[in-house]
Amino acid sequence: MVELKHGFKIDAAKCEGRMNCMRACPTHAIRVKNGKAHLISELCIDCGSCLQVCPSKAISATTISLAELDDFKFKVAVASPALFTQFGLNDTPAQVGRALLDLGFDAVWEYAVDIELNDRAITDCVKKWPGPFPLISDSCPVVVRLVQVAYPSMVDQLIPIEVPREIAGREVKRKYLRELELKPEEIAAIYITPCQAKSISILQPAEEGKSYLDGAIGISEIYNDILYRLRKDTPSLKDGAPDNTRELGELFHWGNPEGEFPSLSREHYLPLSGLTDIIKIFDDIEKGKLTNIEFLECHACLGGCVGGNLTVENLYVARSKDLHLKASMPQPTPEFEREVARRYAGEDFSMRGSIKPRSFARDVVDLRERVMRRKRAEEIQKALPLLNCGLCGAPSCKDHAEDVASGRAAISDCVFLSKSRIDQLRRIYKKGPRRVKR
Amino acid sequence: MAAELLRESYEIQGGNFDKAGEIASEIKVILRDLDIDAALVRRVVIVAFEAEMNVAMYARRATLTLILTDKDISLEVRDEGPGIPDIDLALQEGYSTASDEMRDMGFGFGMGLPNMKKNSDDFCIESEVGKGTLVFARIRLNSHG
Repeated sequence: MVELKHGFKIDAAKCEGRMNCMRACPTHAIRVKNGKAHLISELCIDCGSCLQVCPSKAISATTISLAELDDFKFKVAVASPALFTQFGLNDTPAQVGRALLDLGFDAVWEYAVDIELNDRAITDCVKKWPGPFPLISDSCPVVVRLVQVAYPSMVDQLIPIEVPREIAGREVKRKYLRELELKPEEIAAIYITPCQAKSISILQPAEEGKSYLDGAIGISEIYNDILYRLRKDTPSLKDGAPDNTRELGELFHWGNPEGEFPSLSREHYLPLSGLTDIIKIFDDIEKGKLTNIEFLECHACLGGCVGGNLTVENLYVARSKDLHLKASMPQPTPEFEREVARRYAGEDFSMRGSIKPRSFARDVVDLRERVMRRKRAEEIQKALPLLNCGLCGAPSCKDHAEDVASGRAAISDCVFLSKSRIDQLRRIYKKGPRRVKR
Repeated sequence: MAAELLRESYEIQGGNFDKAGEIASEIKVILRDLDIDAALVRRVVIVAFEAEMNVAMYARRATLTLILTDKDISLEVRDEGPGIPDIDLALQEGYSTASDEMRDMGFGFGMGLPNMKKNSDDFCIESEVGKGTLVFARIRLNSHG
């Protein structure tokens, strides 16, 4: 099995074993053993819930830094529309685009075109789709991974259309290879991302192909640099840099926060955000409900990508800015329409690979042994307090029982079953017996 | 003879629509954790869900039993209810005896039993009018290769 990569890393030196991540993880993928958090790689869906809650700041996104950009000769920024919602009401997308150029990017991509292309491809695909319904959007990497891990029977319902950022990355390479005398590896399409999950979708796409993008920079990583440039006067451009930011300003916001905006009839299209609600809806789909819905647009972050964990601005303020940008958005220009029509006629938007259920290490034992383990876990669970205190290092008593049943943990890690466990935890967390104040 | 590996029974209350579907969800989790092929799990879950809905709509109470062997997954639903006078008719798509009230709630389009049959490899119904109905559905583990 290929080793799974993830969009973040846990720094063992910084980790104090405080278990916030373990408790926040929606797929129960974290265990805390000997005071350090560990990841069960196959269960992690890269939602990033753990990043936000770590009190020791030991979990960080594996995005790239601005300095690493210098490895490339020609750098093109493909900015998530969420970026433009992060600044003041009067800061225009064109100004943000110019700040990106000033920061060292050689071009800022007109991502609105790709978003529109993706929208059309999705609309077409939905119309021709023979079933099963509903189709599920694939632009949020967390949603894709959630389906692979927890809803394997639904992988065929992930819409087989390339995501807008990949469509953009592909065209970035094509265009600049044609226009500049550069080698393919010298041109970098860098995604400005609202979350670490997009970064993992670039490092290791779920459909097992190779990404057209070369890396992702978190919005929070460059927020200060952009803000500084917005507050200075209009930044001066590097000599000879192509200034297409005027058009950018007008077109940037053509599309929803993360792009999918199918022109489908409203009663057959359902947008939803937030993992908790998505899980509820997926449970219903699995029971055969919701077949009247043709397309489900799902974003794991509450409020969609403007609420991503690498954004800076408060979700509601960002959303208000988003509405403001949409309200002042002009009609698409004839050039925009022409470009969309030209590319729509010439490009293939179907997903290159296919998304399969994630295979687990537990595949190795046969059904009989799996049933035995389940029965053992049920027996073990009867001995546990069912308080889900987490002190054993698993997020719930059920998880601990399963870990014990499959030999990954000792039942005596439960403080209710072993007094020495408390002493062991005291040593690990270096806290003496409680001193009583008088 | 197939060796029985697991047997779980669940009680279903008639008329309880807000709980309908919970057993299907529980069965889904069990089978998924056992790493049963996803397409098979889906079929079992649909059969279980439709069975729950039928009980909620028509019966007083029922017992749903999940039986896993090394060869197949079976669901047995034994209810106390009005029974089905004409089983062949009940298996026709679109045939329904649901009340207007149930239809207003969005149920009773006559797809329940046909859908259960469609998703099973073996399917049979035994019924005694005035007493109850036994529905048995079997899904073979190797039917997906």
